[in-house]
Amino acid sequence: MSAPTAGVGLRSVRPVSLALLLVSATYLAFLSGFPDGFGPVLAAVAVAFAAGLRVSSHRSIAGYAPVPVLAVLVLEVVPAPVGLGTELVAGLAGLAFLVWLADDPSRPVGGALRSLPTVAVPGLALGIAWSSALFLPAGTVPLGVAGALLALTLVVVAFLVGRPTVFDREEA
Amino acid sequence: MSGPPLRPLRWRPLAPLLLATGAALLLVAVLTRNPTPLFLALPLLLAPVAAGIAGPRSSPPVRIDFALEGAAADVRLRGAVVPEPGVDARDLVVEVERPASLVGDPARFDYSSTQIGFRANWTAPEPTITEVRVPTVLWRDPIGLVERETFSSAPPLVVSRYPPELLRIGAVRLERTTPLPGETHSRRVGESGEFHGIRPARPDDPPRQINWRATARAGRPLANEYDLDKTGDILILLDARPTPLGASVDERLFSVSRAAAVGLSDSFLRVKSRVGVGVFGEFLDVVPLSTGRTQRIRIEMALKRAHLSPIRAPAERCAVSVRRHFPPGLTTVVFSSLSDDSSEDLSPYLRRRGFPAVVLSPSPLPILSAASHLTPVDEQLAGRIARLVRRDRIARAWEEGPTIDWDDYWSLGKFVEFVRRPRIRRA
Repeated sequence: MSAPTAGVGLRSVRPVSLALLLVSATYLAFLSGFPDGFGPVLAAVAVAFAAGLRVSSHRSIAGYAPVPVLAVLVLEVVPAPVGLGTELVAGLAGLAFLVWLADDPSRPVGGALRSLPTVAVPGLALGIAWSSALFLPAGTVPLGVAGALLALTLVVVAFLVGRPTVFDREEA
Repeated sequence: MSGPPLRPLRWRPLAPLLLATGAALLLVAVLTRNPTPLFLALPLLLAPVAAGIAGPRSSPPVRIDFALEGAAADVRLRGAVVPEPGVDARDLVVEVERPASLVGDPARFDYSSTQIGFRANWTAPEPTITEVRVPTVLWRDPIGLVERETFSSAPPLVVSRYPPELLRIGAVRLERTTPLPGETHSRRVGESGEFHGIRPARPDDPPRQINWRATARAGRPLANEYDLDKTGDILILLDARPTPLGASVDERLFSVSRAAAVGLSDSFLRVKSRVGVGVFGEFLDVVPLSTGRTQRIRIEMALKRAHLSPIRAPAERCAVSVRRHFPPGLTTVVFSSLSDDSSEDLSPYLRRRGFPAVVLSPSPLPILSAASHLTPVDEQLAGRIARLVRRDRIARAWEEGPTIDWDDYWSLGKFVEFVRRPRIRRA
């Protein structure tokens, strides 16, 4: 029995972060070139479905709410064409997804604001990456660098998942 | 190294999901030579790491103040969780566990940036003694990616709810049958009771025993001395042996008995009687005769820990053990469900060893009828037969000693009425 066990009402839905996610996901779908305008509809349905899951009376079901949004974002971004605008929207959609996660209706209000220190780090990294893509010349060398970075990231991710205690600091 | 124990940071299920999705997107980006998935992967990969870094680096200490209110069946829990400065209370998740013997809605929470208030209204369907655990408080990042247990040093609370009539039973004058070894005076000097005089204070005297006015007048520490007012002794004995009713019914009856035993001991300790407790399962576990607040806590802890024995031991063993631990002639209250013929033998053996026993028997009939799946007509017939069998059993037990049938768990009026009449009690 904990604070968020009971179902949360529709009134507890935080509209700003939901709208942000909806707009970014549908725009990404629009840019990704899904056939017959199917992408934006799919994105809107997935976001609405996820929002519905979050306010369901069963907390065990509400825990699966991020899955449809994440799935639709992946589906949209994989066939998306190369382009600076598309890349920026994809990154912003990722950030909007994090802000939406922070606005959990079963937790106290203000989650999005309190998550700013956490969201700022990927936001900054995204800004640097997009600026680099915008200003640096493209070619095969950057792809090689990206591959090396990928390998390094996978190693770091595997290490962090295995040992979350690296963030701990013992009291003096 | 001192300080609070370190509770490691834990990933929540969402974090591996984001990391795995981010890694898959990276792979797709390299394979398809398309940088767009990279830009979506970036926030997903970095957010869990950032959440770990942005949160507290060790278990944040929190202060948990909580208390129980209410009487009889009503159990109200009120409390607040206050984190240390620098930790936003809205980032804490509080989990309040309801004890299994209580029923009611989940706890409700009031969040502010400095503290979390919580309250729960529960009901005890039967008399009970149980523990309310300290609420679990977790720090969780706003996105819900990582969490860490907080540190608090609050002790658990004990809920003891028993029939209200037991509050008055302490007024019963018990037989003073157990003089201490070497005791010749009827009154002794002690720490409580009637005022006796003033003496120089000792280093181990508690502050409330110091006579501060006399100390100020004399210019040296003086303490009050009291006559130990001993009204009598009582032994509370619980039959924790299994019966043919089955483990679940036995457990509920034993729980009811434990709660009543706590009420009985509380009431007699309040009037400074000496109270001893025995729990007889396979062997006899005892709390020796004593009085005072410490004895109350001792008995409460012993009864909270007491559990049913899986093995049915002979009643004679109980009587022999009781004789070894307690002086004969002690007024004895035996809690036994008398659910089968063999459970009736405890009282005769105790009487033969010199213990005038009164049996208080919690009836299994209310529990059995509530769990019955018969049709109403069959249920009525089965209930009548069960009541007849029960009456016969109580009547047979009366031949050996006074036996009170306890069928309404929230009322012990019959028992209190009985022990207020010493002539009948001695019969």
